[in-house]
Amino acid sequence: MSVISEKIQEILAYAKSRLEESNEAGDVNDMRVRLLGKSGELTSLLRSLKDIPPEERPTIGKLVNEARDSITSMIELRLAFLKRLELERKTRDERIDVTLGGKGVARGSYHPCTLVREEILRVFISLGFSVEQGPEIESDYYNFQRMNMPKDHPARDMQDTFYITPDVLLRTHTSPVQARVMDKSKPPIRVVCPGKVYRPDDDATHSPMFQQVEGLVVDKDITLCDLKGTLECVAKELFDSKTKIRFRPSYFPFTEPSVEVDVTCPVCHGKGCRICKGTGWIEVLGAGVVNPEVLRASGIDPDVYSGFAFGMGVERIAMIKYGIPDMRILFENDVRFLSGFKEEI
Amino acid sequence: MKVTLNWLKDFVDIDITAVELADRLVNTGFEVEEIIDQRAAIKGVVLGRIESIVRHPDADKLVICKVDVGSEVLQIVTGASNIAEGDVVPVATDGAVLPDGKRIKSGKLRGVASCGMMCSGEELGLSESDYKGAGVYGILIMNGEDKALGTDINDVLGYDDVILDVAVTANRGDCNSVLGIAGEVAAILNKPLKMPDLSFSADKASKTGDYVSVSVKDKQLCPRYMAAAVTDVKIAPSPEYIRRRLKAVGIRPISNLVDITNYVLTEIGQPMHAFDMRDIDGGKINVRRALDSEKIVALDGKEYTLSSDMLIIADAAKPCAIAGVMGGENSGIREDTQGVIFESAKFARDSVRRTSRGLGLRSDSSARYEKGVDCSLQEIGVRRALHLVQELGCGVIAQDMIDVFDNKPKARRIETSLSRINGILGVDVPADEAVRILAALRIQVERDGDKIVCIPPEGREDLENVNDLAEEVIRFYGYDKIDGTLMEKGKQTVGGKGLRIADTDLVKRLCVAAGYNEILTYSFVSPKMCDVLMLPEDDALHSSVELLNPLGEDVSRMRTTLAYSIISTLASNYLKSIHTARLYEVAGVYYDKGAELPEQSERLALGAYGKDEDFYTVKGVIENIMRAFGIDAAYERSTLPYLHGGRSADIVAAGGKVLGYIGEVHRDVSAAFNVEERLYIAELDIDMLHKYARRKYVFEQVSKFPPVERDLAIVVEEDVSAAKIIAAIKKAGGGLLKEVSVFDVYRNKLLLGEKKSVALNLVFRADDKTLTDADISSRMDRITEKLHSELGGVLR
Repeated sequence: MSVISEKIQEILAYAKSRLEESNEAGDVNDMRVRLLGKSGELTSLLRSLKDIPPEERPTIGKLVNEARDSITSMIELRLAFLKRLELERKTRDERIDVTLGGKGVARGSYHPCTLVREEILRVFISLGFSVEQGPEIESDYYNFQRMNMPKDHPARDMQDTFYITPDVLLRTHTSPVQARVMDKSKPPIRVVCPGKVYRPDDDATHSPMFQQVEGLVVDKDITLCDLKGTLECVAKELFDSKTKIRFRPSYFPFTEPSVEVDVTCPVCHGKGCRICKGTGWIEVLGAGVVNPEVLRASGIDPDVYSGFAFGMGVERIAMIKYGIPDMRILFENDVRFLSGFKEEI
Repeated sequence: MKVTLNWLKDFVDIDITAVELADRLVNTGFEVEEIIDQRAAIKGVVLGRIESIVRHPDADKLVICKVDVGSEVLQIVTGASNIAEGDVVPVATDGAVLPDGKRIKSGKLRGVASCGMMCSGEELGLSESDYKGAGVYGILIMNGEDKALGTDINDVLGYDDVILDVAVTANRGDCNSVLGIAGEVAAILNKPLKMPDLSFSADKASKTGDYVSVSVKDKQLCPRYMAAAVTDVKIAPSPEYIRRRLKAVGIRPISNLVDITNYVLTEIGQPMHAFDMRDIDGGKINVRRALDSEKIVALDGKEYTLSSDMLIIADAAKPCAIAGVMGGENSGIREDTQGVIFESAKFARDSVRRTSRGLGLRSDSSARYEKGVDCSLQEIGVRRALHLVQELGCGVIAQDMIDVFDNKPKARRIETSLSRINGILGVDVPADEAVRILAALRIQVERDGDKIVCIPPEGREDLENVNDLAEEVIRFYGYDKIDGTLMEKGKQTVGGKGLRIADTDLVKRLCVAAGYNEILTYSFVSPKMCDVLMLPEDDALHSSVELLNPLGEDVSRMRTTLAYSIISTLASNYLKSIHTARLYEVAGVYYDKGAELPEQSERLALGAYGKDEDFYTVKGVIENIMRAFGIDAAYERSTLPYLHGGRSADIVAAGGKVLGYIGEVHRDVSAAFNVEERLYIAELDIDMLHKYARRKYVFEQVSKFPPVERDLAIVVEEDVSAAKIIAAIKKAGGGLLKEVSVFDVYRNKLLLGEKKSVALNLVFRADDKTLTDADISSRMDRITEKLHSELGGVLR
């Protein structure tokens, strides 16, 4: 009996050492045949049981079966190990340079003026304003007369104008859209009108074509304080939450009282710097309480309703916001400049 | 409007500095563009007298002077030769600063100490008209001065004023005068406004009517005309204070009579004209419209041809002045003038403006009239002028000035309430404070509790309604007292963009996602655009809108297509050696269709170049946009002249409406922009996309049964398009054929000759059963037959 048991130990030791040396799944399978196959060593051992006294057979049989199970499990483990090795090798072989660029198209960009315009519109939309557009080539009637500027009004000199005919022109502001809105809707009106406007100026801070966002509120009990609160909201959103605004008296034919609106310089926050010419303030827009004549011309009773209006230049705000020194850069359309603007609308 | 501090002080007590005053003016709506302190330019220059002159021991051209400057005697070395002992001269002492910024220091000249410099007129910034002798080359000799030696030269020259350049807004015509600004200053300082001295005594022996009669033919254009005669005129220079003030505000002094008219214009804001009495033929002044092609030589020496919409001042025989614009050369003041007729009139603002523009002739007078002169100023103006004639002793004033003034405007009454004013402002201005402010602006206020009735002063034509009053109150109460509120009393409204604007945003988002950079180009283009794009003469793109007053010929037409702009932007990037570009723009195009306003629509333009770009990359972007709008578009070969004939397509919606195009730019066009690379562009009408959009989702049951796929390759002639093959297959395939797509196009001259082989994938599916081979093969037979009969296609 001890002879057989020794033999079993021998086989187990042999299997263990051979398996540890096998680096191919084929070798492992060869081992399985050699040890556990029909004419394998362990199988032969089992056959030789008939030569053993019957009372010892169960014990020996158990030992042989345990050895078989042990070898089977060693083989499985080895195969799993080899499989994992193989996968690791493959993974290693399939390594790529992850620093190379991705496929598919790189995202493009929005023009900075679009970004600024949309940012302004977002604030106003959140305050209940709807967005309206109108024609860029306008009648003198909507552009001037409805804005309390009859022909030969001296304030027309404030806005030099491109004319198509004596009665048709390139709009000098988006105010005519407001007149068109008042024609088709009744108060309460809260509307913002973005769009291109035209004036014959061309230098570092003026372009013959530029974009405006103008707005109009007509309702009962609207005050100059409401204008200030609304514009404060926009200024804080556009620049930063510490931004303050101030009113300076001014004149526009379509508003009364009229104000120029300054914001604290977004660069120095009011301390005074090169951008704000040391004043701490930057002029960004014009505004005021809607002139009763403008309401009356639109069929709205100024004794019942009041309102405010404002207008800002998108290019000018873009220049302040992004630190662009010359307005003409915005119209150069150099891809390298344009690609720098990452924001979404 | 330039005013001086001293001039303002004639009318209001000012006890703050010019800088403080400027600040207060800004806060009440008058931008002060410049503050010029006359004394700031010259510092440390005093009056001195040359006591002795000796030769310099080591220099032939230099002399050594002893100069008495009151407190001491300075030794000064100079090279000037126009000086003599006893001459009074300006002396720049050690540390002095001259108008050009030059600083004078003591030093040695050829070994001899020199403690200052004697100045020339030029070095003090003076010309001959500023000071007699200032134009001479050499030291300025001031022997006529009687001021003590050592007196600051600014005091000698009368430089004791500060000039404020005030921007006056278009509504405040009344503030285009010293008196007008003084009125605001009085309100700012809450002090009374002193009126100018208008007194004079007339000669009992003569009347204006003895010399001239006035007839106003057009009272629309001339609501008021005053005339006053002055005889025994002595033309001479004006006194120094008038000359200095005029120079300070930028007007050249000429002679007493002319200076008086300019002084009154600046001080009162009333343009005046003085006619030489001798030149008024028949003693008749006719204010009338000019005859067509009537001519006049104006004071500028140029001849102007008038028209019947212009107002003139004529005598019995000829035009003597263009009303409100400029006098005639034939009747102006001369050296030997002995009698004058002063004109002080109100001419209609629009008429002066039109005439001035029409003739291309502007003057201080026309500029002033264009800003609005009210009916109260004519009398103040003429009386002030006569007062000055008397003060200067330059003539004898006739009695009974003529005043043609038929329709006196009624005083305006604004009836409202203090609570209404506060309601506009949103600020509780105390009632007494509001009334005080209005009264300080010389507005008559009758108050009955909350109710007020306001009568503005005559000059304030801008005060028409309660909003105007509210502005006056807040201007002086202070804009800093306005606190922001958020329309708490207003009705809540729903904000947002309509679908049309949202569609533009969608197009932009798709373009950005596809890698395109947004550009911004001018709406105006050159008329050469049509030639560059090789458009035939009858092309619709020619019907562009033209500007009457463009900034230049190359920006004189409103564009009818974005093609030109996108191509030139691609070109400008290409020429900067940028190797790839993908650009887009959303902008308007404008067509003159004969209506009052041109037709305007919004377009998208795409443009691209670079090694990975071709027709299909641009088409991919367009297709994506079409998918987003649910539009099933067809792509048909395009005939646009500026595109490559074989590589361009019109984008056509169901029903044949052309929405735009895609294509490679014609080589001749890109060559015109000096571009050698292939450029690809596309244009889409966004208004049409919006109109043809089909974006409503309709639920459709997805089939549970598996599809059956078949591939087929068909050999056809080169000009049989994929679209035609697919259409034929779909027609023959029946309802079970769900999808057809091309997966390969194969050309091989040896195997196929000039033909091509197109490989397609077909997907059949039924909603109610699994399809069998039998179901498919009959359909495939029909398809093959159709491809053969319709397109001459042969299975490969």
